[in-house]
Amino acid sequence: MKKKAFSIRIFKEIIRDPLSFIFCLGFPLVMLVVMTLVNDSIPKETGMTIFRIDNLAGGIAVFGLTFIMLFVCLTAAKDRSGAFLVRLYATPMRSGDFIVGYTAPTFLLAVIQTVITFAASVVVSLFTEVELDFVGLALAAITLFPTIIMFISFGLLFGTVFSEKAAPGLCSIIISLASFLGGVWFDAETTGGVLLKICKILPFYHSVKAARLAITLNFEGYGLHLLITAVWAAVFTIAAVFVFKARMRADIL
Amino acid sequence: MFSIETRSLTKKYKDKTAVNSIDLTVNEGELFALLGVNGAGKTTTIRMLSCLCKPTSGECFIMGKNCLTEADEVKKLVGISTQDTAVAENLTVLENMKMFCGIYGYSPEKAAEIIDKMISLFNMEEVKNQRAKTLSGGWKRKLSITLALIGEPKVLFLDEPTLGLDVLARRELWKVVRSLKGKITMILTTHYMDEAEQLADRIAIMANGEVKALGTLEELETLSGEKGLENAFIKILGGGADEKESVLNKNI
Repeated sequence: MKKKAFSIRIFKEIIRDPLSFIFCLGFPLVMLVVMTLVNDSIPKETGMTIFRIDNLAGGIAVFGLTFIMLFVCLTAAKDRSGAFLVRLYATPMRSGDFIVGYTAPTFLLAVIQTVITFAASVVVSLFTEVELDFVGLALAAITLFPTIIMFISFGLLFGTVFSEKAAPGLCSIIISLASFLGGVWFDAETTGGVLLKICKILPFYHSVKAARLAITLNFEGYGLHLLITAVWAAVFTIAAVFVFKARMRADIL
Repeated sequence: MFSIETRSLTKKYKDKTAVNSIDLTVNEGELFALLGVNGAGKTTTIRMLSCLCKPTSGECFIMGKNCLTEADEVKKLVGISTQDTAVAENLTVLENMKMFCGIYGYSPEKAAEIIDKMISLFNMEEVKNQRAKTLSGGWKRKLSITLALIGEPKVLFLDEPTLGLDVLARRELWKVVRSLKGKITMILTTHYMDEAEQLADRIAIMANGEVKALGTLEELETLSGEKGLENAFIKILGGGADEKESVLNKNI
């Protein structure tokens, strides 16, 4: 009951913020169209397929999820900066209620965002020679669950640790890192060397790769990319829960 | 049994003692005002009593429940309206109330009953569908107090509830507070002497984390030898050393 009440509040607060539509939906969809146009301009002889819709859809979906992180972070940091969270500490709410309250509605928003991104990708694909497989898209949406959890954990962690002013800046760095080192805007595999090693150490490349493989129903290496993403998600979830609980204890010391 | 009881309640932050060994008892249904200059320890006292911070030493009890060892039980007994109007800004007045009903685990029927009661008590019909961020300061304060009351607390903490409000909004809020008098125990902190004069049954004057004087308005006037709370307050806190000592000795 407490979790549900707090979840509803978070859901409503986020969807009533016009910026959430601009960043979580508008921006990724614009990038989907823009990059498809860019793809059209790339000569076929180059063999560059990074912006082809079957590759682009997964990358854009992960890119969009980084903004979910931003909104979780902003909401948590804002709650902390005012007296709202403190006031709720004086009610029967426990740390688990807060954590679920931040996570559950944003997970739902992330799933909705992913579905819309993939639906838009299908529409875009109608103007290209590539046909998207619905089973692949559905599998990709499910494949992104650990990525969603990971970004929500990032958001909760940063929103708990940093102030309302510092947290968005830090999230911007993660957004840039995730889209760049995740290989959303370039083919990481063709670069090789240190850059590829860094990409493979971080989770973003694996998230994007798993989603792309799922869309094309190519299961070569899919399990490993998914597993690495899931491990990162688990680590950051544990870290976020630990830090939030510690911060709550510190707040009422 | 007292509604509120503190025994040598102390809170220290590193070198600073915010609250220094205070002993208070507040009766059920009483409106008890905590007065003092900034940094006197009023808010820290309220925070300890509402389980928002832990005492460094000493004990405090709400309806006989220990705030440190029975915090979960205490939280069911108290409501707090903080200095900042802590409400969910993007939710409407009704949605804010519904959220708090959910937090207290009320059934839809009970939630509807309580919300109706609150809207009628605070005359909030005209703003019930308005988002909190669009409310005026006065309405926000009312909403903040409403949310504190949704848990049907036995003890309500009002931390500077009229801070920054215009005179009409203050008077309006006084009416609400008066209507609650006798029904629940209230602890009010304020910088406005007239507010304490008008509303409080008993008044404690705090300075440097200590209770310097405590009693009804008449008792404080007698103790200080001054007429009116403001004069008594100034005399108790700012009077000559000998006079102050004498007042304190008489009281404590």
